Amino acid sequence: MNDALAFLALPALACAALVGIHAYFGLQVLARNVIFVDLALAQVAALGATVAFLLGHPAQGLAAHGYSLAFTLVAAALLATTRRWSGRIPQEAQIGVIYVVAAAAALLLVDRAPQGAEHIRQILTGNILTVGWEELRWAIPLYAFVGAAHPPLTRWITGRFGGGWLAEFAFYAAFGLVVTSSVGLAGVLLVFAFLIIPAAIGVLHAEGFRRQLVIAWIAGTAVALAGLAASFAWDLSTGATLVCVFGIALVVAGIARRVRAAPDLAAFVRGLLRGARWLAAFALLASGFWMALAPRADQPALDILESAVPAVRAAYMSGKDLAIAQEATEFARRYRREAAQLRATEAERRWKGEPLDEHQLRRTASFLKSYNEMIRGEEFVVREVRSRAREAWRFAIAAAFLLAALAITPWPWARWRHALRGRDPSR
Amino acid sequence: MRAALGSPLVLARLAALCAALAFAGVAHGEAKLRLVATTAELRSLAVAVGGDAIEATHLIPGGQDAESFQPRPQDLVQLRGAKAVLRVGVDYDLWLDRLLAQSGNRDLQRGGAGYIDASVDVALLDVRAGGVGPGDGHAHGRGNPHYWLDPANAEAVTGTILEALMRLDPANAKRYEANRLAFLKRLDARTAEWTQLLAAGRGRPLIAYHDTWPYFARRFRLRFLGIIETRAGVAPSPAHLAKLAADGKRERVSAIVREPHEPARDAEFLASRTGAAVVVLASGVDAVPQARDYLSLIDYNVRALAAAFAKPEPR
Repeated sequence: MNDALAFLALPALACAALVGIHAYFGLQVLARNVIFVDLALAQVAALGATVAFLLGHPAQGLAAHGYSLAFTLVAAALLATTRRWSGRIPQEAQIGVIYVVAAAAALLLVDRAPQGAEHIRQILTGNILTVGWEELRWAIPLYAFVGAAHPPLTRWITGRFGGGWLAEFAFYAAFGLVVTSSVGLAGVLLVFAFLIIPAAIGVLHAEGFRRQLVIAWIAGTAVALAGLAASFAWDLSTGATLVCVFGIALVVAGIARRVRAAPDLAAFVRGLLRGARWLAAFALLASGFWMALAPRADQPALDILESAVPAVRAAYMSGKDLAIAQEATEFARRYRREAAQLRATEAERRWKGEPLDEHQLRRTASFLKSYNEMIRGEEFVVREVRSRAREAWRFAIAAAFLLAALAITPWPWARWRHALRGRDPSR
Repeated sequence: MRAALGSPLVLARLAALCAALAFAGVAHGEAKLRLVATTAELRSLAVAVGGDAIEATHLIPGGQDAESFQPRPQDLVQLRGAKAVLRVGVDYDLWLDRLLAQSGNRDLQRGGAGYIDASVDVALLDVRAGGVGPGDGHAHGRGNPHYWLDPANAEAVTGTILEALMRLDPANAKRYEANRLAFLKRLDARTAEWTQLLAAGRGRPLIAYHDTWPYFARRFRLRFLGIIETRAGVAPSPAHLAKLAADGKRERVSAIVREPHEPARDAEFLASRTGAAVVVLASGVDAVPQARDYLSLIDYNVRALAAAFAKPEPR
């Protein structure tokens, strides 16, 4: 338990560092409308490392980094140049082209490479959970340096030469430097989330670069810590959990903005609730129709309801059917347990005690296959009994859904009643 | 009848026919049987049986992950001209089905004369029960597909190859049989040597990145405590990694095993937590420069592990 928590200390530090630098670049990426530029630059860096490898340099050596950097700088120059063409072709399209061509070219080159080309793939597949201190020791000073040097450099360039090509080049080059390192730490998906989502939250909730940046930092770090906690609590893959939690955070931030912008908070909340009720009513209505139409098909609404309140099943299944389903479930569970035991025994005999001979091994495999068939059989029974009951009660269940939908709709029943009453005396 | 046979014209015809048949036989003897294997290790086993009577190629470039293989146009050309195709089976090279259909080569389709599934005679490990999808024959969980890593399974696989080659090319049957026997003799001698080399590692705990090693482990009585990547392509969760680190430390794990194409950082992370060494093993021919053919593949793995076991146990 505490071990897992201890495991999350370095990832938390890495998250804070990554949010710090990526929120800064993310705001500029959003302003420039070049959302996927990080993917393109990371892919170009990987292409550079591939070329270095093919030329005989060790993967992840100094030469590989040099080639990566050189390729990234060329891509930065290309991006700074093509920005002026964006009247005809959106720059996003150009970025997409750079990405796919770099990815495909790396694929073709790796195909020609002898063993060891796999190391190159590791440039793009970081894992935030296993980030090491040796990597952070380099990455954090790099981010700090780029973060500190880029703004004054940009100001100087703009003052001296105007904000043209050179300023753009400086932006893409600095960003490329950061992204090449961060993708190796955290992976493509997570770096994209770090780049875009905190910045988007900042833009949603503040005006002016500095305020946006501060909000992005605070929100991004908090969300990343929440994501790490979720990954720990629910035993989920850390990178993927972080990305999903960032997605949820953006939705929450969007709603929060609407709440803040609403002139009358109570009215806004009422409107929100009304919307939610309409949505639920429509879902129930659709479920009712679906039930009447295809009772044997997947019925997500009923399934969710049953898993939350198992008693619902008793409402439409007879006692006998319930007993059959219960028994089949029990058997399936037993078979699973026995099969797991059999597998564990076999696995242990690989190294402990007398080894199983080929004949015993084949018998184990065939037992496991039989278990598999039997489990599937029992699952079929459960499904079939339930489907038959649903088929028999399809219209009643559909009607129940319909009634529930009507009850939930924020339909102005009350207003109608008033209107009717109001009309009555005039007759 | 005798009169008919005796007539010079008929005799001449018969002679011509015999000559033609003999010529065809010679021509047939010269044309090598073309076999396409999916992986380099299967190709090596096919060559062990076929010798220079067959011309064997393989589709997946050595050392690449078989799962992420992308066929090229040349692969279709190869299959079109082949007389036999040799696959790993057990859902390991599913992409081949599509390629075979596209090649239009009737003999190579499932059930065709030239279709060889190397797994048919192998006793599979880790056949899963439960959680298997609809039974279309392609459901995962049919068993662990890395069976060639047990040298004893090479006997079953070469047996399957021999049977197919004898059927496709009966003229060379004797040769194929002799080749296989010679190979098995060498294999037996090497297996005895390997078993001795790994005797010190018996029961000593190991951790692997991917579940590639059950057959290898069974043969040499090695013990794998756990797997880092329990589901292909999904990074481990903190709790899983913490458990592996704790188990590894408690049991004094001897080595963290990974293949060249698997992420180094996760293995190294665990190595730094448990004090074990990272050992790079090859599951296929050409995955490392030392693994040039089937025997040197197993030899490389055995020696790499034996070297890890030779080091003193971590604290």
